[in-house]
Order: sequence, then C-alpha cells, then structure tokens
Amino acid sequence: MASVCLKDIVKVYGSDIAVRGINLDIPDRSFAVFVGPSGCGKSTTLRMIAGLENISHGELQVDGEVVNDLPSRDRGVAMVFQSYALYPHMTVRQNLEFSLKLEKLDHSEIERRIDEAVTVLELHPFLDRKPSQLSGGQRQRVAMGRAIVREPRVFLFDEPLSNLDAKLRNQMRVEIKRLQRRLQVTTIYVTHDQIEAMTLADFIVVMRGGNIEQTGTPIDIFEAPANLFVAGFIGSPRMNLLAGTAVEIDGQLCFSNDDFTVPLPSERFADVLSAGQEITVGFRPEDIVPEQHGIEPTRSVSVTGAVEFSEMLGNETLLFFNINQTEIISRMHQPRIVESGETLNFLFNVDRIHVFDTQSGNSVLSDQVTVG
Amino acid sequence: MSNTMDGIDFAAIVDKERASKQRNWLALTAAVIISAVWVVPFYYLAISIFKTTEEYSLNHPLSLPSGLAPVVENAVTAWTHAKMGAGLWNSALYGFLGAGIAVFIAALAAYGLSRIDFKRKNLWFMLIFSGTIFPLQMYLIPLFFFYQKVGILNTHFGMVLFYSAICIPFPVLVLRNYMNGIPRDMDEAARMDGASEFTIFRRIVLPNCWGPITATFLLQFTWIWNDLLFSTVLANRAEVRSIMNALQVFQGSYSSTGPNVVLTAAVIASAPSIMMFMLLRKHFMEGMRVSGS
Ligand SMILES: Nc1ncnc2c1ncn2[C@@H]1O[C@H](COP(=O)(O)OP(=O)(O)OP(=O)(O)O)[C@@H](O)[C@H]1O
Ligand SMILES: [Mg+2]
Repeated sequence: MASVCLKDIVKVYGSDIAVRGINLDIPDRSFAVFVGPSGCGKSTTLRMIAGLENISHGELQVDGEVVNDLPSRDRGVAMVFQSYALYPHMTVRQNLEFSLKLEKLDHSEIERRIDEAVTVLELHPFLDRKPSQLSGGQRQRVAMGRAIVREPRVFLFDEPLSNLDAKLRNQMRVEIKRLQRRLQVTTIYVTHDQIEAMTLADFIVVMRGGNIEQTGTPIDIFEAPANLFVAGFIGSPRMNLLAGTAVEIDGQLCFSNDDFTVPLPSERFADVLSAGQEITVGFRPEDIVPEQHGIEPTRSVSVTGAVEFSEMLGNETLLFFNINQTEIISRMHQPRIVESGETLNFLFNVDRIHVFDTQSGNSVLSDQVTVG
Repeated sequence: MSNTMDGIDFAAIVDKERASKQRNWLALTAAVIISAVWVVPFYYLAISIFKTTEEYSLNHPLSLPSGLAPVVENAVTAWTHAKMGAGLWNSALYGFLGAGIAVFIAALAAYGLSRIDFKRKNLWFMLIFSGTIFPLQMYLIPLFFFYQKVGILNTHFGMVLFYSAICIPFPVLVLRNYMNGIPRDMDEAARMDGASEFTIFRRIVLPNCWGPITATFLLQFTWIWNDLLFSTVLANRAEVRSIMNALQVFQGSYSSTGPNVVLTAAVIASAPSIMMFMLLRKHFMEGMRVSGS
C-alpha cells in the first residue's frame, strides 16, 4: 500500500531524451493508466519506477521515501511483463515460489501466499506444469500470480493483455480490475488500448513525446480533453475537428469557416473567446446525429451531407461524409445499411462542442481542466 | 459454388509424381557406393581386432577372421603394453576437468558479454575469440619453455590448466550467441524477484542453456581426449601421460605387436568418448538446434 510520486523525472539514452521531466502523483490504492502513441516513453517511465532503468534526473518516491537508488527488490514493486517472462524451466509452483525463497520466508508463509494467489487466480490444476504447457491466458495468470505472492506495495503492468485474443482480453481485463479492488494495491498500468484505459483507470495519464499531455479521470479526459492531441487520441472513432475562426454574428459568438457556421454557447465560451481568434472545434461522432435516426439534440446545427460510405458494426453504424474537404464521421445508434450517396441531415450537438485555440492546440477552457 | 474439379487430370499428375520418384534410384546407387567406401575403414577395424597377429599377416587384411576369441588376448596385450589404465585415467582427468572448467568459465564470460553493459564489449569479445583463429601449434614452443621454467611440465596441474585455457574461446562464442537469444525480460523479472546477478546466472540463464553447454562440453572433451600433440610435448612421463600419448609406445615396437593389437588399443582408447556422446546425445542434439526455448 503506497503512493507513488514522480518529480521532474527525466530519462536520457545517449543523447536521446526519452522522458522529458514528468511530474505525477499517484495516490495510495489508486489505479493509474498510462496511454500514448508508440515510443512516447510509457514503458521507459514504468521501468524507471520498477528499478530496471536508471533515473537520469529527478526524484522517485514511494510512500514519501526517495527510492532512486534502491535496487528494485527493495522498492516493494512487482511487475507483470507483456511477454509474461515466466521461467520456462520451472513449474508454475516454482515460478511463484522463486521470489519468496530468495526472500528466505519460512515455509508456512510461502505456502500461505502461494495458496492465496493460486485460489484467487484459479491456478490449482496447473501448479506442476511448465509454462510451455499452458495456454496464453493461463500464462498471463501465472505472471500475475508471481506479482501477487510478493505482496508488493505497487503493481506495475506493461501491456499485459496485448498478447491475448480479444475475448480473453476482455475477460482478463475485468479480472485485473476485480483483483486490484480486492487487493487494494496501488497499480500503474501501461496500455495502447483505449478500452482498457477507460475501464480500468481511476485516472489516465496521456503521454506524448516523453511529456504528459493530460492527467485526469477517464470521464475528464473524454469530456474535456486539454488539447487537440488528447482530443484526437482518446475516443474511437476519433473526434471530428474543423479549423476556422471565432466570429460575432448578431451579438452571438460563433465558429465559422467557409462551409460551416455554428454558434458557441455563450455560458461556456463568452469569457474565454474573442472574435477573430483562430480556433478549431471538435465534435465526437456520437454528437453528430443523423436526423430521425437517434435522440436528437436540443440545440443543434444541421448540415446536409451525402454519405460517402458507411460501416455497419452490428450495434451501430458509422457514417462517413464530407464537409468540403474534411471527412466527418457520424455514429448512428441504429444498425442499418446506409447506401453510398444517400443524403441525410446531420445534427451537430452544439452543447457538446469542444473548442481549441488553433495556434497553441490547447482547449480554450484549459484552466478548467486538469493539465499534467 | 460447386466443388468439382473438372478439367484436372489426376491420373496424369500421379504418373508424373511417380516418374520423378523413380529417377531417384540413380542417386540412391551413388549414395550406396559412396557409403561403402566410407565404411571400409570401420570394417577393417572391426575385423582386425578379432585376429591374431599370425592370422593377420597370413591373410588378406580385409578377409574375415576365423573366430572371435583373439580379441581378449589382443586387449590384454594392448592394455599391459601401453599401460592403458593410467592413460585412460589421466585422459579422463584432463577431459572432465579441462572441458568442465573451460565451459563453466566460458558460460560466465558469455553471460557477461550478453547481459552486462560495459565499455568496449565487442573488443573484449574479439580478444577472447581471437584465441580460436590462430593455429594452435603456434602456442606449443613458447608454452613448453614457459612450463619448464615455472616447473609445471609433466604435471596434472599443467595439463588441466592448458586444456581449460585453450578450450574456452569456442564455447564463449556459442554460448554468447545462445544467451543473446534468451529474452532479457526473464532476467529482469528475476531481478525484480530479488535475484542477484549470480543467482540470475545460475538459476535462470544456465538452466536454459543445458543444450549448448553439453554440446560444447562434449566437443571440447573429445578434442582433449584425442589431443596428441600437446600431451606429447607437455606431459610425456608415464604417470601423467594421456591415453593417446600412451598409444605411441606401439610406434617404436612394431615388430613385437601386430596391427591387430594396435587397432584393439585404438578401439579401447576411443570407446569412452563415444560412450560420452551416447550418454549426452539428447542434450547434444538440443544444443545443435539454432533457437532457444
Ligand atoms: N534501451 C534504449 N536505448 C535507447 N533508446 C531507447 C531505449 N529504450 C527506449 N528507447 C527510446 O525511448 C523512447 C520511449 O520508449 P518506450 O519504450 O518508453 O516507448 P513506449 O511508450 O513504451 O512505446 P510502445 O507503446 O511502443 O511500447 C523511444 O523513442 C525509444 O526509441
Ligand atoms: Mg512500451
């Protein structure tokens, strides 16, 4: 049980800077998820916390204690690797015992811990098998068991589910969440997968290029992305973005470009925007509703568009159309085949608009959202 | 959609396949002839040990022996004449200790080269590896004078020292490549589990290297066992003489013992390394496979 605190953490490989001064507070018992594009420094940060990489600069605290120079075994952290990294020449039991025997715990304590982990993870039938005799999901559970038996202060996961098929991944994801709830251990989890991030996290840390772009609860990040990058990165399909200018029409602040004008709710934007400012607005696909095909928003702007093509996903249909050159995606909550060329009225939900300053890329409401 | 395959003449395809198989008999005949040539020396060896010296000199060398009994006498003569007991003991000592120490040290070096980050790693590796690119005979004369000066000529210690040293580079090459193929995640997991560097080596990396370790051990053991040159020069006294060296007594006294005795001695001398191979065959084949687990 411990909080983890990163202060100005930097990682340099030769002359390449992989992590550029990260500040982060992970409270006790919470579940933090790092997301970001490939190469943004997620694993590097995790490995520094694990003690597998030196920290080039900055301070890492676990429970208020600086652990920069502690070897990983003394940090009270346990890690589940993407490849599982099980010891192939040992049985499942020996894999689980390995750390406990090195710690020289007494026999009864070792038995107790293994028994507990094995029960939670339902590993009983496999104790005497070698890792090569297990399925992917079973190996994954052994890898988690190896972390659990150590009773660490912090769990670290580096894309633990990426080697599993979709169905098993969903199942293990739920299992991980349940496990963390039950054990109440501070957890840091790295993933590419948005669904994992949204469902597992108490708070999400969005990284890019060695920096933190935004930290916040899943709902924060989704509803109030701090900048264009986060807006584009979180949410699938991605948010529709249109660049233009803020203008005043009849005393009403509006977004406008050559093809499209939309009023900006003054209760949210009157104080933060001025006419003439270059802005980019964003609408999530579910906030663009084809007329008569879903719950229509109370305040909306209607745009007529010819559907270029559609994707019927079973429980919903994605509609692709263009506003001038920009491709817009609308999510229709009705599964139905839509023919290409069919013309529909699309209702853009004005109350759910996201507005960013084009130049800086930051949300114009950025002082109202948490930024890392 | 229909599943028929109209227009395909299966009979013709079958005939063509068969014809291409039949052409193989030529290759087969060639193979049989070549193997026969290759087998002759072994045949010669196998029949000669069952002949008496007289029988050997009177008949054609490749003729079959008249009985199996003479082999016992041949063996006894060879054993006493060449003091083969001592020779076998010495060679076993050199083989097990020399190859064992060499492979163990090589494994340590390979671990360092594949796992620990230090400067000029490649230079160190090339330095060790350079031990295998020069002809070994080059070391003979300097080594002789050095051993003489230090006083370890004609000692067990000197021989084990030499064999261990000369047998290190090759296993380093093999084991380093093999260890590079063992995922680093595994050592990292062990490190987080609280293992020290040596524990990782002994408990995690070594157990996954048994294949190449037995393979290189076997190769080095056989080389030491069969070495004649260095054992002749560095250890020529009866107490420290290796088995191959011991066989040389037959060179000077050819008249008193016939080729049948010499060949019997050769069979006895090579039996142990063949037995070693049989015993470790499984691991050896594993070690010859390219990839790790
Ligand atoms: N050992 C290393 N030596 C040099 N550069 C490295 C090393 N490890 C990582 N890097 C670099 O550091 C940066 C961050 O890498 P990192 O592995 O943390 O990315 P990541 O966010 O985990 O990506 P992914 O999602 O693909 O796993 C990358 O640009 C990578 O090339
Ligand atoms: Mg990574």
